[in-house]
Amino acid sequence: MKIESTADLENIRQEYSNKLYYPDGTKVLFGMASCGIAAGAKAAFEKAQQDFPQGNGIQISQTGCLGFCEAEPLIEIVQTGKPRVIYQNITEEKIVEVIHSYLENDFKKTKWILGQVRDPRNLMEDQVKNPIGEIDPIEKIPFLEDTPFYHNQVKIALRNCGYIDPDCIEEYIARGGYFSFFRALFDHKPGEIIQIIKDSGLRGRGGGGFSTGVKWATCARHHGERYIICNADEGDPGAYMDRSILEGDPHSVLEGMLIAAVAIGSSHGFMYVRNEYPLAVKRLVTAIKQAEKFGLIGDNIAGTDFSFKIKISTGAGAFVCGESTALMASLEGKVGRPRAKYVHTVEKGFRNNPSNLNNVETYANVPAIISKGADWYAGMGTEGSKGTKVFSLVGKIKNTGLVEVAMGTTLRNIIYDIGGGVLKKKKFKAVQTGGPSGGCIPEQFLDLGVDFDELTKIGSIMGSGGMIVMDQDTCMVDVARYFLDFLKEESCGQCNPCREGIKRMLQILTRICEGHGKEGDVELLEELGDMVAKASLCGLGTSAPNPVITTINYFRDEYYAHIRDKKCSAGVCKNLFHYDIDEEACTGCRLCALKCPQEAITGEKKEPHKLDQDKCIKCSICYEACKFNAVVIK
Amino acid sequence: MISFTLNGKTVQGKEGEYLLKVAEEHGIEIPTLCHHKALEPAGMCRLCTVEMHYGRRVRYVTACNYPIWEGMEIKTDTEGIHQIRKLIVELLYARCPDVDILKKLAKRYDIEEPRFSKEDDTCILCGLCTRICERMGNSAISLTGRGTDMKVDTPFHIQTEACLSCGACATVCPTGHINYEKIRANISESDIAPIPSEYEMGLKGRKPVYVPYAQAVPNTPVIDRTKCVHFKTGGCQICAEFCGVNAIDHSQQDESIEVEVGSIILAPGADVYDPGLHDTYNYTKHPNVVTSMEFERILSASGPYGGHLIRPSDHVEPRKIAWLQCVGSRDVHLGAHGFCSGVCCTYAIKEAMLAKEHSSNGLDAAVFYIDMRTFGKDFEQYYNRAREESGVRFVKSKITHVESNDETGMQVIRYVDEAGRRLEEEFDMVVLSVGLSASLKTAEQAKKWGIDLDHYNFAKTNSFDPVQTSRPGIYVCGIFQGPKDIPSSVIDSSAAAGVAGSRLSDVRWTLTKTREIPEEVDVRGEPPRIGVFVCRCGTNIAGTVDVPEVTEFAKGLPGVVYAEENMFSCSQDTQDKMTEIIKEHRLNRVVVAACTPKTHEPLFQETLINAGINKYLFEMGNIRNQCSWVHKDDPDRATKKSKDIVRMAVAKAGLLEPLAESTMGITQSVLVIGGGVAGMAAARNMSEQGYHTYLIEKADALGGQARHLHETWRGEDIQGYLTQLADAVQSDDNVDVFVNARISHVEGFVGNFKTTIHQNGENRILEHGVTIIACGASELKPGGYLYGEDSRVVTGLELQQRFIDKDPALGQADTAVFIQCVGSRIPERPYCSKVCCTQSIKSALTLKDVNPQMKVFVLYRDMRPYGLREDLYREARSAGIRFIRYNSDKEVDVTNGAEGLKVSFSDRVLQRMMDIRADLLVLASAVVPPAENPLAQLYKVPVNADGFFAEAHVKLRPVDFATDGVFVCGLAHAPKPIDESITQAQAAVSRAVTLLSKKAFLTSGIIAETNPLNCSSCGVCISVCPYSAPGFIEQGPFTGKAQINPVLCKGCGLCVASCRSGAIRL
Repeated sequence: MKIESTADLENIRQEYSNKLYYPDGTKVLFGMASCGIAAGAKAAFEKAQQDFPQGNGIQISQTGCLGFCEAEPLIEIVQTGKPRVIYQNITEEKIVEVIHSYLENDFKKTKWILGQVRDPRNLMEDQVKNPIGEIDPIEKIPFLEDTPFYHNQVKIALRNCGYIDPDCIEEYIARGGYFSFFRALFDHKPGEIIQIIKDSGLRGRGGGGFSTGVKWATCARHHGERYIICNADEGDPGAYMDRSILEGDPHSVLEGMLIAAVAIGSSHGFMYVRNEYPLAVKRLVTAIKQAEKFGLIGDNIAGTDFSFKIKISTGAGAFVCGESTALMASLEGKVGRPRAKYVHTVEKGFRNNPSNLNNVETYANVPAIISKGADWYAGMGTEGSKGTKVFSLVGKIKNTGLVEVAMGTTLRNIIYDIGGGVLKKKKFKAVQTGGPSGGCIPEQFLDLGVDFDELTKIGSIMGSGGMIVMDQDTCMVDVARYFLDFLKEESCGQCNPCREGIKRMLQILTRICEGHGKEGDVELLEELGDMVAKASLCGLGTSAPNPVITTINYFRDEYYAHIRDKKCSAGVCKNLFHYDIDEEACTGCRLCALKCPQEAITGEKKEPHKLDQDKCIKCSICYEACKFNAVVIK
Repeated sequence: MISFTLNGKTVQGKEGEYLLKVAEEHGIEIPTLCHHKALEPAGMCRLCTVEMHYGRRVRYVTACNYPIWEGMEIKTDTEGIHQIRKLIVELLYARCPDVDILKKLAKRYDIEEPRFSKEDDTCILCGLCTRICERMGNSAISLTGRGTDMKVDTPFHIQTEACLSCGACATVCPTGHINYEKIRANISESDIAPIPSEYEMGLKGRKPVYVPYAQAVPNTPVIDRTKCVHFKTGGCQICAEFCGVNAIDHSQQDESIEVEVGSIILAPGADVYDPGLHDTYNYTKHPNVVTSMEFERILSASGPYGGHLIRPSDHVEPRKIAWLQCVGSRDVHLGAHGFCSGVCCTYAIKEAMLAKEHSSNGLDAAVFYIDMRTFGKDFEQYYNRAREESGVRFVKSKITHVESNDETGMQVIRYVDEAGRRLEEEFDMVVLSVGLSASLKTAEQAKKWGIDLDHYNFAKTNSFDPVQTSRPGIYVCGIFQGPKDIPSSVIDSSAAAGVAGSRLSDVRWTLTKTREIPEEVDVRGEPPRIGVFVCRCGTNIAGTVDVPEVTEFAKGLPGVVYAEENMFSCSQDTQDKMTEIIKEHRLNRVVVAACTPKTHEPLFQETLINAGINKYLFEMGNIRNQCSWVHKDDPDRATKKSKDIVRMAVAKAGLLEPLAESTMGITQSVLVIGGGVAGMAAARNMSEQGYHTYLIEKADALGGQARHLHETWRGEDIQGYLTQLADAVQSDDNVDVFVNARISHVEGFVGNFKTTIHQNGENRILEHGVTIIACGASELKPGGYLYGEDSRVVTGLELQQRFIDKDPALGQADTAVFIQCVGSRIPERPYCSKVCCTQSIKSALTLKDVNPQMKVFVLYRDMRPYGLREDLYREARSAGIRFIRYNSDKEVDVTNGAEGLKVSFSDRVLQRMMDIRADLLVLASAVVPPAENPLAQLYKVPVNADGFFAEAHVKLRPVDFATDGVFVCGLAHAPKPIDESITQAQAAVSRAVTLLSKKAFLTSGIIAETNPLNCSSCGVCISVCPYSAPGFIEQGPFTGKAQINPVLCKGCGLCVASCRSGAIRL
């Protein structure tokens, strides 16, 4: 069936809205993104299918990721007339019991329940046309929207993740999908679309933060076969925003690309996806097939002379291929290495033709902007950075997960309110933003509103939205060393400053961590960092020194302690500390002594213990085990 | 044009140009390690990082690949940039501490020791090699791996057949990381070998684009399709990109051109014998065994070793060198040739003497020979000098083989000496005097041409028509006709051209076009309006000299109204442009500052003529050969010198005056002196060319020496030919024959001779444009040997006469003895008479024909039946004729005994005195020129020490004299057989026709003229002039004062310099 008009879309929306919100019988939705599967969702899903075969009123279905990683596997159960309930940490063992308890209206096991959904409708949906009847909430169960993790979030890019079946285009349409595309196709001139995007203030979410509207406009100005490319080569360790979108809502990205294609005047699109995201690729393949089947991708879409095809290309796992020129080289079948961008890719990119490259999250934002208008989007965020941004909040934090907040939300808000603060009541030390080439931000900047410009000012970057929280047990020199080690491996090696500079910086950091740091090393690192940042060929090189430079700027004493005092107060650099037992704090509980694999801790029960330094291998088991903070780093 | 700020100055560049190039053009040096002008810049080394300022912000960009744009502001040498570059250098230096280029850079940036641990890499990963490989259309190597693991490698680190071993990577590698050894060991599956230079005989390599040799004609580079990478991969084409005049077109194809001709002259040459075919002499096994052709290159200053005498194996100067003669010649074994190559003996002597001159340690040079065959004019004297003055050793021997001593690189020559002893001797080097070899390829083509070849594949000719092939209208010259040296080849070529021309004489001038010459503008009296054209000569000049600065400077010089620079002043489009500019700016003097007037002055003068101004209003300044080439290292001073050169040229140009070139008619007739074969052949040929000819002979009949000759060595009947020729000459209306005539007086000069002859008591004046001297020579009447006392003792020529006369007494003799070199090769007559060896062999065979039982002995010193005549020698030996080498240092005694004549001589092989009883003793007597020859005086032409006429140049002008309009041929020039006399006669005619056919002379404008008022009549000018141009005025008020004949004057200035009264000026 081909969709030829907005009316056709509307029909599908009507039909599937009912199925989505008022299912026949009971619908059990499993968060089946990679994260959920890794946490055990698949086993639970299969168990549920086994115990509740189709046709007996219970529908077992899948959806994307709700973002709350800490609580995975997450499942949602809904029955017409009853609130939707989200259960957390539901493994294979618990699933049958959970479903039965919902069916039996037994909500006593509150520990299993994350919350009930107040209003599942998407922000793009017409609330009038699609009323949700008043349903009595379940008592004593919090509304999901009110939980700390979700309370401060604004879901635009992630609007459908966790709500629809990503393999079902109709559900996407039911939530307002492809209406924006049709509006762009029928109601706007290309220039108007670009103007809307410009006015919305949308900036590239891949890290560079370049104005998306300006980029589109420049690309549209250059002649030749124009290409729309989606950068889905998300390579930052610990960041998985794009993966979640691709796995949970692939059509939003396709629709964003379609709108870009209409605006710029292109008939060919490419998605460059990391091969390490097999599920994302699978979902994309399905999504493209479905869109093609519906005539939303292909020749003469909806009877117009607009044609657009999308091909998927998988990258082989080179971090640098996230860089635009390297990505395009890779797409052309060449070695993925960057080139100088003095001639921009919007002029001469893929196959030397004008190419518009945006990342997944950017494209996912586009349909929402077209739907709700530039003013709506620009109404969120700060002066220089509009809208929302998805962060992957990880590290030493209570609520890890994907969070989408308005630009300008403070770090404190993200880390403490949404994230629930540092684990085990340890002391917050720094937050690293922007992936491996981002910077480490100390406590003093916690009240900074996060946006592109503010982060740059303090030496870090927005990057694609990685956010790693570090506590007192994190050695900042080691952190810098860790990231440079990653970058050394991922530098393409072409240009001298990046290849040789990073290598030498890493050598210096390694020797500092090993206790062989020399006077002048910090200054040499700064000198190298300055040169590498200025002289490198591509963004990888120019941002590579950030972890080193920011840690030096904000934790210079820690460097000096490593070099001069040969001390690592975080207890990470093994040559530079030892554990000891604080006799006053020790209660003689024996826990540490029992766990020590070296039998290095001795002592009578209820007597302060002793630690034999000769036997200790600094494995930190005792340190972690002690409940009285009696094992100390010295 | 785009304007932007570069280090505070506003500069301009073209749209799309990169910053580095524009900066370079403005004299701002930006360091770089990864840039190559043939490749798209990649910005990999980052050393060329510069600052771009916009507003208050600074961006760092790499100059090599940053395109310029209007209004940008660039700073290339700030402290910040210096710091960046210094640190990059430090990092690279730490990576590659042993690489020269980085050591130098480190020094430049004051880095003593890098602050980072040293590695031992040699590759800086600049990517030049991989980019050039890609440019070559190959990509056999690429940058593999990531980050610190990146390296230049082949796919999967295995040697690849994709590598064409072109070596481009090694050429561009700045550090030496990739070299030919590594390509061989790690990259290419196939072996890498330099392309051997054909010209350098493989002792040196050449490029796929090359000029075959420095004097090649045309002197333009060619692309070797079989080696050029472009023709293998479709890549590269760098040459086409860089050629300033877009001369390279890879799509060019060979084309067939059809021309209609009346005659064809074949001069395809021959090959050199390849001693590797049958390797008796270790040639293929050891580099220290070289061919004579290779040795020529070794000795050459422009050769592979820069003229240093060194042996190829280890480049050590040799102390001993041996030359082995007759390699591939006079040899009927596998692959070799039976004929004598005729040239090797003389060149071996030359090489030995030159080698001794090149040697710093008193080289021991030894020539191992069978017979030394120095039969050419003056060659014997050269041989004597080599032996007696230079101390070259000559060893009569037979080489068995050559072996090498692997430890020392020495070559052991094993040989049998003339006495039959087996000997051996060690030499550093062995030079194989390889002979000539008719080309098989030419032989194939000869079938197409439809001409007959002899059994050696040389073109078949006969002695009386030596340049005519078996097919009418097709002529041959040079080695294709038979082995010969340069003078003979040059004579051949003139002869062939002349004979071909005589057959076409009635259609002469029918296909020529007359050039339109614009009328000359009279610039006399005008103030100088000088135009200066300064040539960049690509980078030849502009690479060193600041051409724009010189051009600007020229604009300010007095009289200069126009100055500009050209990329290549000599290109056709520039010529056309110059013509326009001369007209447009009404220039009346032109100065071109470029290369040498020797090669380019006529070209520019032509441009002046086309622009309608006198060609003498031109002056050249040589800012290339004499400036940019020699001062490459000092551009500033070279620029200064160029300005000086231009200033001088402009000053001189201001003084130039238009000069007229006068014309003088040429009398359209010829005088041939001498009625022998050469003279008659010349007269006959001259008449065929359509010119009236006077032939004078002092004897009472035509024929000369040939009247006594029986048969040519090929067996052709000489008397028959002679009769036919004499008849033809005498019956020719166009030839006036004067016998019994003598020349009493000669006046005039080229084009206008007046010769007075005395005949039958009458004087007669002949007017002729040119003179051919063919006055001949005769056979020596020897003393001794009982010659003249005993009728059984005859000279070679007398024996021939007896053959003609069919003397029945000849058949009666039982034993005949020939004694060679009677009167030749002796101190008072050192030359070789050339003809006697062949004549004696021929006569000996004739005697055998007359009486097969006759015992015939030939006593010789060196048998010299050169060239194809060697066949006859071989035939004589198989016919039982005995050749005995006698010792010429000891007397050959002839006595009249009871049993006939007793010939006593010292035998070289047996090393004792021997006697032979003979019934007939033939003395192979010398060819001698007339004792007194008035012609030399009359025509002011020189004779050599032996009394033969001396040609203008032994090799290049073998029938001309230095005096214009006089030519020589036949025995008057030197001893020679009949075929060579005829050839030379035809050559002389050919040369004469080149003069006559012009009908009038255009004399050079630059000639000397005298001021008779100042002349002291000292006659110095007359004695110094090599061209006989000055003479005394014979009539009028200035009788006795000197005057210069403008026709003869070459403008050399010798008289001007030598005139003590200052009476002559140019």
